[in-house]
Amino acid sequence: MPRSFTWEKVEPADWRSTIEELREKGFTFFDFLTGVDRENMDGKQACEVVAHLATKDLSDSHFISTQVLGELPSITDLIPAAQWHERECAEMFGIQFTGGSAKPLLRHENLGRPPLRKSTVLAARVLTPWPGGAEPEIKEDGRKVGNASRRRQRPPGVPENWRQP
Amino acid sequence: MTRYALTSDPSVSVEVVSASLACCTLELQAALNSGALIQVSEGGTGPSVIVIAGTVTDALVPSVLELIDSYPGTKVMSFGACATSGGPYWDSPPVSKGIDQFVEVAAYVAGCPPRPDAFIQAIQELSLNRAS
Amino acid sequence: MKHSFIALIEDKCTSCMLCVRECPAWCIHLDSHTVDVTEEGARRPKKVNVLDSFEIDYSLCMYCGVCIDVCPFDALAWDEHRALVTTNREDMLLGIEELGPSGSS
Repeated sequence: MPRSFTWEKVEPADWRSTIEELREKGFTFFDFLTGVDRENMDGKQACEVVAHLATKDLSDSHFISTQVLGELPSITDLIPAAQWHERECAEMFGIQFTGGSAKPLLRHENLGRPPLRKSTVLAARVLTPWPGGAEPEIKEDGRKVGNASRRRQRPPGVPENWRQP
Repeated sequence: MTRYALTSDPSVSVEVVSASLACCTLELQAALNSGALIQVSEGGTGPSVIVIAGTVTDALVPSVLELIDSYPGTKVMSFGACATSGGPYWDSPPVSKGIDQFVEVAAYVAGCPPRPDAFIQAIQELSLNRAS
Repeated sequence: MKHSFIALIEDKCTSCMLCVRECPAWCIHLDSHTVDVTEEGARRPKKVNVLDSFEIDYSLCMYCGVCIDVCPFDALAWDEHRALVTTNREDMLLGIEELGPSGSS
Protein backbone atom coordinates (compact mmCIF):
# COMPACT_ATOMS: atom_id res chain seq x y z
CA MET A 1 0.00 0.00 0.00
CA PRO A 2 1.50 3.36 -0.96
CA ARG A 3 2.05 5.65 1.98
CA SER A 4 2.52 9.34 1.98
CA PHE A 5 4.60 11.19 4.52
CA THR A 6 4.31 14.86 5.28
CA TRP A 7 6.64 16.86 7.47
CA GLU A 8 5.51 20.17 8.83
CA LYS A 9 7.19 22.68 11.11
CA VAL A 10 4.91 24.88 13.15
CA GLU A 11 5.28 27.60 15.76
CA PRO A 12 4.58 26.53 19.35
CA ALA A 13 1.55 28.81 19.34
CA ASP A 14 0.06 26.81 16.45
CA TRP A 15 0.85 23.42 18.00
CA ARG A 16 -2.60 22.65 19.38
CA SER A 17 -4.55 24.12 16.49
CA THR A 18 -2.51 22.19 13.91
CA ILE A 19 -3.10 18.92 15.70
CA GLU A 20 -6.77 19.68 16.09
CA GLU A 21 -7.08 20.42 12.38
CA LEU A 22 -5.25 17.25 11.45
CA ARG A 23 -7.53 15.22 13.64
CA GLU A 24 -10.55 16.70 11.97
CA LYS A 25 -9.02 15.87 8.59
CA GLY A 26 -8.99 12.20 9.55
CA PHE A 27 -5.57 11.84 11.14
CA THR A 28 -7.03 10.03 14.11
CA PHE A 29 -4.23 7.56 14.79
CA PHE A 30 -1.77 9.02 17.25
CA ASP A 31 1.54 7.18 16.96
CA PHE A 32 3.96 9.05 19.18
CA LEU A 33 5.21 12.31 20.54
CA THR A 34 8.83 12.78 21.49
CA GLY A 35 11.65 15.26 21.89
CA VAL A 36 14.72 15.67 19.69
CA ASP A 37 17.55 17.67 21.17
CA ARG A 38 19.33 19.33 18.28
CA GLU A 39 21.81 21.26 20.30
CA ASN A 40 22.08 24.92 19.39
CA MET A 41 19.48 24.61 16.67
CA ASP A 42 19.44 27.98 14.91
CA GLY A 43 21.56 29.38 17.69
CA LYS A 44 18.94 28.65 20.33
CA GLN A 45 19.04 26.17 23.19
CA ALA A 46 15.74 24.84 21.95
CA CYS A 47 14.41 21.31 21.95
CA GLU A 48 12.33 20.01 19.11
CA VAL A 49 9.08 18.22 19.85
CA VAL A 50 7.80 15.88 17.16
CA ALA A 51 4.39 14.24 16.95
CA HIS A 52 3.31 11.64 14.45
CA LEU A 53 -0.33 11.36 13.43
CA ALA A 54 -1.69 9.06 10.77
CA THR A 55 -4.95 8.14 9.17
CA LYS A 56 -6.63 5.04 10.54
CA ASP A 57 -5.55 2.87 7.60
CA LEU A 58 -1.99 4.26 7.98
CA SER A 59 -1.92 5.34 4.33
CA ASP A 60 -1.21 8.94 5.20
CA SER A 61 1.34 10.02 7.79
CA HIS A 62 1.84 13.47 9.17
CA PHE A 63 4.78 14.52 11.32
CA ILE A 64 4.58 17.89 12.93
CA SER A 65 7.44 19.42 14.80
CA THR A 66 8.03 22.58 16.74
CA GLN A 67 10.94 24.23 18.51
CA VAL A 68 10.30 24.60 22.20
CA LEU A 69 12.08 26.80 24.70
CA GLY A 70 10.71 25.19 27.84
CA GLU A 71 6.92 25.21 27.52
CA LEU A 72 4.38 23.78 25.14
CA PRO A 73 0.60 23.50 25.52
CA SER A 74 -0.53 19.97 26.25
CA ILE A 75 -2.66 18.07 23.75
CA THR A 76 -4.00 15.48 26.18
CA ASP A 77 -7.52 16.93 26.04
CA LEU A 78 -7.49 16.42 22.25
CA ILE A 79 -5.65 13.08 22.33
CA PRO A 80 -5.74 11.40 25.75
CA ALA A 81 -3.21 8.78 24.62
CA ALA A 82 -0.60 11.52 24.31
CA GLN A 83 -0.36 11.81 28.07
CA TRP A 84 2.26 9.06 28.49
CA HIS A 85 4.33 10.56 25.70
CA GLU A 86 4.11 14.03 27.15
CA ARG A 87 5.08 12.81 30.59
CA GLU A 88 8.04 10.95 29.16
CA CYS A 89 9.04 13.94 27.06
CA ALA A 90 8.74 16.18 30.11
CA GLU A 91 11.01 14.14 32.35
CA MET A 92 13.52 13.17 29.67
CA PHE A 93 13.79 16.50 27.83
CA GLY A 94 12.67 18.94 30.49
CA ILE A 95 9.74 20.33 28.54
CA GLN A 96 6.71 21.53 30.46
CA PHE A 97 3.38 20.65 28.92
CA THR A 98 1.03 23.27 30.24
CA GLY A 99 -2.36 21.88 31.07
CA GLY A 100 -1.07 18.30 31.03
CA SER A 101 -0.13 15.91 33.79
CA ALA A 102 2.93 16.83 35.84
CA LYS A 103 3.31 13.32 37.19
CA PRO A 104 6.67 11.72 36.26
CA LEU A 105 6.40 8.56 34.19
CA LEU A 106 9.59 6.63 34.90
CA ARG A 107 11.92 8.77 36.94
CA HIS A 108 11.74 9.68 40.56
CA GLU A 109 11.01 13.30 41.19
CA ASN A 110 13.83 15.78 41.65
CA LEU A 111 16.49 13.55 40.19
CA GLY A 112 18.43 16.33 38.55
CA ARG A 113 18.57 17.50 35.00
CA PRO A 114 16.60 15.85 32.18
CA PRO A 115 18.81 12.93 31.10
CA LEU A 116 18.24 13.05 27.36
CA ARG A 117 19.30 16.66 26.92
CA LYS A 118 22.75 16.98 25.43
CA SER A 119 23.58 19.70 27.92
CA THR A 120 23.13 17.21 30.78
CA VAL A 121 26.59 16.36 32.00
CA LEU A 122 27.28 12.80 33.08
CA ALA A 123 29.62 13.63 35.92
CA ALA A 124 31.11 10.13 35.89
CA ARG A 125 32.52 10.81 32.43
CA VAL A 126 34.32 13.89 33.71
CA LEU A 127 35.53 12.38 36.97
CA THR A 128 36.70 9.06 35.53
CA PRO A 129 40.02 9.36 33.73
CA TRP A 130 39.51 8.26 30.15
CA PRO A 131 41.87 5.35 29.43
CA GLY A 132 42.00 6.45 25.78
CA GLY A 133 43.72 9.68 26.79
CA ALA A 134 47.03 7.87 27.25
CA GLU A 135 49.56 8.00 24.44
CA PRO A 136 51.96 5.30 23.32
CA GLU A 137 54.50 7.97 22.36
CA ILE A 138 57.09 9.29 24.74
CA LYS A 139 58.44 12.74 25.13
CA GLU A 140 62.12 13.24 24.46
CA ASP A 141 63.65 16.44 25.80
CA GLY A 142 60.19 17.96 26.04
CA ARG A 143 59.57 17.33 22.34
CA LYS A 144 56.64 15.18 21.30
CA VAL A 145 57.63 12.13 19.37
CA GLY A 146 55.38 10.64 16.73
CA ASN A 147 51.97 11.98 15.86
CA ALA A 148 50.72 12.51 19.39
CA SER A 149 49.38 16.00 18.77
CA ARG A 150 47.13 14.86 15.93
CA ARG A 151 45.38 12.32 18.10
CA ARG A 152 41.90 12.73 19.39
CA GLN A 153 42.10 13.49 23.10
CA ARG A 154 38.45 13.76 24.03
CA PRO A 155 36.38 10.70 24.83
CA PRO A 156 33.60 10.02 22.32
CA GLY A 157 30.35 11.80 23.09
CA VAL A 158 31.94 14.42 25.29
CA PRO A 159 31.43 18.00 24.07
CA GLU A 160 34.50 20.07 23.34
CA ASN A 161 33.82 22.76 25.88
CA TRP A 162 33.48 20.41 28.82
CA ARG A 163 35.46 21.38 31.82
CA GLN A 164 38.23 19.03 32.71
CA PRO A 165 39.05 18.11 36.30
CA MET B 1 13.16 -21.26 45.47
CA THR B 2 13.91 -24.19 43.21
CA ARG B 3 16.61 -26.81 43.50
CA TYR B 4 18.65 -27.57 40.42
CA ALA B 5 21.25 -30.28 39.92
CA LEU B 6 23.90 -30.58 37.23
CA THR B 7 22.78 -32.97 34.52
CA SER B 8 26.33 -34.25 34.24
CA ASP B 9 26.75 -34.68 38.00
CA PRO B 10 23.47 -34.81 39.97
CA SER B 11 25.37 -34.82 43.26
CA VAL B 12 26.09 -31.13 42.69
CA SER B 13 22.95 -29.21 43.39
CA VAL B 14 21.96 -25.67 44.35
CA GLU B 15 18.83 -23.90 45.36
CA VAL B 16 18.29 -20.87 43.15
CA VAL B 17 16.40 -17.70 43.97
CA SER B 18 16.29 -15.26 41.11
CA ALA B 19 16.20 -11.54 41.80
CA SER B 20 14.84 -10.51 38.43
CA LEU B 21 15.76 -6.90 37.80
CA ALA B 22 16.48 -6.49 34.11
CA CYS B 23 17.37 -8.28 30.91
CA CYS B 24 19.84 -10.67 32.58
CA THR B 25 16.82 -12.39 34.07
CA LEU B 26 16.04 -13.86 30.66
CA GLU B 27 19.63 -14.96 30.32
CA LEU B 28 19.41 -16.61 33.71
CA GLN B 29 16.27 -18.44 32.64
CA ALA B 30 18.10 -19.51 29.49
CA ALA B 31 20.92 -20.86 31.63
CA LEU B 32 18.54 -22.69 33.98
CA ASN B 33 16.76 -24.28 31.02
CA SER B 34 19.80 -24.90 28.85
CA GLY B 35 19.76 -28.62 29.54
CA ALA B 36 22.88 -28.52 31.68
CA LEU B 37 20.70 -28.35 34.80
CA ILE B 38 17.77 -30.44 35.91
CA GLN B 39 15.15 -29.51 38.44
CA VAL B 40 15.16 -31.79 41.44
CA SER B 41 12.34 -31.87 43.91
CA GLU B 42 13.93 -33.32 47.02
CA GLY B 43 17.18 -33.86 48.83
CA GLY B 44 20.47 -32.31 47.98
CA THR B 45 22.70 -30.49 50.38
CA GLY B 46 24.18 -27.92 48.04
CA PRO B 47 24.11 -24.24 48.90
CA SER B 48 21.30 -21.81 48.32
CA VAL B 49 22.10 -19.04 45.90
CA ILE B 50 20.30 -15.79 45.30
CA VAL B 51 21.11 -14.58 41.83
CA ILE B 52 21.08 -10.82 41.31
CA ALA B 53 20.36 -10.67 37.61
CA GLY B 54 20.13 -7.20 36.14
CA THR B 55 20.66 -3.54 36.79
CA VAL B 56 20.36 -2.45 40.40
CA THR B 57 19.37 1.19 40.72
CA ASP B 58 19.88 3.13 43.93
CA ALA B 59 16.12 3.28 44.32
CA LEU B 60 15.89 -0.52 44.16
CA VAL B 61 18.69 -1.29 46.60
CA PRO B 62 16.47 -1.41 49.73
CA SER B 63 14.11 -3.90 48.07
CA VAL B 64 16.99 -6.05 46.88
CA LEU B 65 18.51 -6.08 50.36
CA GLU B 66 15.15 -6.97 51.86
CA LEU B 67 14.87 -9.88 49.47
CA ILE B 68 18.37 -11.08 50.35
CA ASP B 69 17.63 -10.76 54.08
CA SER B 70 14.51 -12.85 53.71
CA TYR B 71 16.69 -15.82 52.75
CA PRO B 72 19.18 -16.07 55.63
CA GLY B 73 22.33 -18.05 54.87
CA THR B 74 21.89 -17.68 51.15
CA LYS B 75 24.92 -16.87 49.03
CA VAL B 76 24.74 -13.94 46.67
CA MET B 77 25.73 -14.28 43.05
CA SER B 78 26.31 -11.17 40.99
CA PHE B 79 25.15 -12.20 37.53
CA GLY B 80 26.34 -9.98 34.71
CA ALA B 81 28.12 -6.65 34.43
CA CYS B 82 25.26 -4.49 35.76
CA ALA B 83 24.98 -6.21 39.10
CA THR B 84 28.76 -6.31 39.42
CA SER B 85 29.70 -2.74 38.59
CA GLY B 86 26.87 -0.95 36.82
CA GLY B 87 28.17 -2.34 33.54
CA PRO B 88 27.05 -0.38 30.48
CA TYR B 89 25.40 2.09 32.87
CA TRP B 90 28.62 2.87 34.73
CA ASP B 91 28.21 6.57 33.93
CA SER B 92 24.53 6.78 34.82
CA PRO B 93 23.71 8.62 38.08
CA PRO B 94 20.73 6.49 39.26
CA VAL B 95 22.48 3.13 38.81
CA SER B 96 24.44 1.66 41.73
CA LYS B 97 27.95 0.67 40.90
CA GLY B 98 27.85 -2.91 42.09
CA ILE B 99 25.85 -4.77 44.71
CA ASP B 100 29.05 -5.67 46.53
CA GLN B 101 28.82 -2.21 48.04
CA PHE B 102 25.87 -3.45 50.08
CA VAL B 103 26.21 -7.22 50.50
CA GLU B 104 28.94 -9.80 50.45
CA VAL B 105 29.06 -11.44 47.03
CA ALA B 106 30.12 -15.08 46.80
CA ALA B 107 30.52 -15.25 43.03
CA TYR B 108 30.80 -12.76 40.22
CA VAL B 109 29.78 -13.90 36.77
CA ALA B 110 31.25 -11.74 34.00
CA GLY B 111 29.37 -11.05 30.82
CA CYS B 112 26.80 -8.80 29.32
CA PRO B 113 25.00 -11.10 29.29
CA PRO B 114 26.90 -14.05 30.78
CA ARG B 115 26.68 -17.21 28.77
CA PRO B 116 24.82 -20.19 30.25
CA ASP B 117 28.16 -22.00 30.63
CA ALA B 118 29.36 -19.18 32.86
CA PHE B 119 26.40 -19.70 35.19
CA ILE B 120 26.98 -23.45 35.32
CA GLN B 121 30.65 -22.78 36.09
CA ALA B 122 29.65 -20.42 38.90
CA ILE B 123 27.35 -23.03 40.41
CA GLN B 124 30.12 -25.61 40.29
CA GLU B 125 32.52 -23.27 42.00
CA LEU B 126 30.05 -22.33 44.71
CA SER B 127 29.40 -26.02 45.41
CA LEU B 128 33.13 -26.75 45.54
CA ASN B 129 33.75 -23.87 47.91
CA ARG B 130 31.20 -25.27 50.27
CA ALA B 131 32.75 -28.72 50.17
CA SER B 132 36.26 -27.48 50.89
CA MET C 1 31.08 -18.10 17.70
CA LYS C 2 30.12 -17.47 21.28
CA HIS C 3 30.43 -14.12 22.97
CA SER C 4 32.04 -15.72 25.95
CA PHE C 5 35.40 -14.08 26.53
CA ILE C 6 37.62 -11.58 24.77
CA ALA C 7 41.18 -12.83 24.39
CA LEU C 8 44.32 -10.87 23.58
CA ILE C 9 46.90 -12.21 21.16
CA GLU C 10 49.80 -10.24 22.55
CA ASP C 11 52.17 -10.66 19.60
CA LYS C 12 49.73 -8.96 17.25
CA CYS C 13 49.09 -5.91 19.42
CA THR C 14 50.81 -2.72 18.26
CA SER C 15 49.55 -0.53 21.14
CA CYS C 16 47.64 1.63 18.68
CA MET C 17 45.02 2.45 21.34
CA LEU C 18 42.08 2.05 18.95
CA CYS C 19 40.32 -0.48 21.18
CA VAL C 20 40.87 1.63 24.29
CA ARG C 21 39.39 4.70 22.62
CA GLU C 22 36.40 2.95 21.11
CA CYS C 23 35.41 0.97 24.21
CA PRO C 24 32.04 2.38 25.36
CA ALA C 25 32.52 1.04 28.88
CA TRP C 26 36.06 2.43 29.20
CA CYS C 27 37.13 -0.97 30.49
CA ILE C 28 40.38 -1.41 28.56
CA HIS C 29 43.60 0.03 29.93
CA LEU C 30 46.76 -0.04 27.88
CA ASP C 31 50.23 1.17 28.67
CA SER C 32 53.10 1.22 26.24
CA HIS C 33 56.33 2.98 25.36
CA THR C 34 58.26 3.54 22.16
CA VAL C 35 61.74 2.33 21.32
CA ASP C 36 64.04 3.08 18.42
CA VAL C 37 64.67 0.17 16.11
CA THR C 38 67.33 0.52 13.46
CA GLU C 39 66.77 -1.76 10.52
CA GLU C 40 69.64 -2.74 8.33
CA GLY C 41 70.08 -0.31 5.46
CA ALA C 42 67.65 2.20 6.93
CA ARG C 43 68.79 5.78 7.18
CA ARG C 44 66.98 6.59 10.40
CA PRO C 45 65.84 4.47 13.32
CA LYS C 46 62.17 3.52 13.38
CA LYS C 47 59.83 4.17 16.31
CA VAL C 48 58.20 0.98 17.48
CA ASN C 49 55.55 0.72 20.21
CA VAL C 50 56.16 -1.83 22.92
CA LEU C 51 53.21 -3.07 24.94
CA ASP C 52 53.82 -2.77 28.67
CA SER C 53 50.44 -3.67 30.05
CA PHE C 54 46.99 -4.47 28.75
CA GLU C 55 44.04 -4.89 31.05
CA ILE C 56 40.37 -5.58 30.51
CA ASP C 57 38.10 -4.91 33.48
CA TYR C 58 35.57 -7.70 33.09
CA SER C 59 33.37 -6.24 35.80
CA LEU C 60 32.59 -3.44 33.32
CA CYS C 61 32.99 -5.09 29.92
CA MET C 62 29.68 -5.25 28.08
CA TYR C 63 30.80 -7.86 25.54
CA CYS C 64 29.85 -5.61 22.66
CA GLY C 65 32.89 -6.66 20.63
CA VAL C 66 33.65 -3.16 19.39
CA CYS C 67 37.31 -3.63 20.39
CA ILE C 68 37.48 -6.82 18.32
CA ASP C 69 35.89 -5.05 15.37
CA VAL C 70 38.15 -2.02 15.41
CA CYS C 71 41.43 -3.85 15.97
CA PRO C 72 43.27 -3.56 12.65
CA PHE C 73 45.68 -6.35 13.57
CA ASP C 74 43.21 -8.95 14.91
CA ALA C 75 44.94 -8.89 18.26
CA LEU C 76 41.62 -9.30 20.05
CA ALA C 77 39.29 -12.22 19.42
CA TRP C 78 36.29 -14.00 20.88
CA ASP C 79 37.37 -17.02 22.87
CA GLU C 80 34.41 -19.33 23.17
CA HIS C 81 36.10 -21.83 25.42
CA ARG C 82 36.32 -19.58 28.41
CA ALA C 83 33.89 -17.93 30.76
CA LEU C 84 34.92 -15.77 33.66
CA VAL C 85 33.65 -16.50 37.15
CA THR C 86 35.44 -15.09 40.18
CA THR C 87 34.92 -14.93 43.88
CA ASN C 88 36.16 -11.40 44.24
CA ARG C 89 35.81 -8.34 42.12
CA GLU C 90 39.51 -7.49 41.88
CA ASP C 91 40.07 -10.78 40.05
CA MET C 92 37.94 -9.50 37.18
CA LEU C 93 40.70 -7.15 36.11
CA LEU C 94 42.69 -9.35 33.76
CA GLY C 95 46.16 -8.57 32.44
CA ILE C 96 48.16 -9.78 29.44
CA GLU C 97 48.86 -13.21 30.94
CA GLU C 98 45.27 -14.01 31.86
CA LEU C 99 43.90 -12.62 28.62
CA GLY C 100 45.84 -15.02 26.43
CA PRO C 101 43.72 -17.31 24.26
CA SER C 102 42.83 -20.67 25.76
CA GLY C 103 44.64 -22.53 22.98
CA SER C 104 41.91 -24.99 22.07
CA SER C 105 40.72 -22.97 19.11
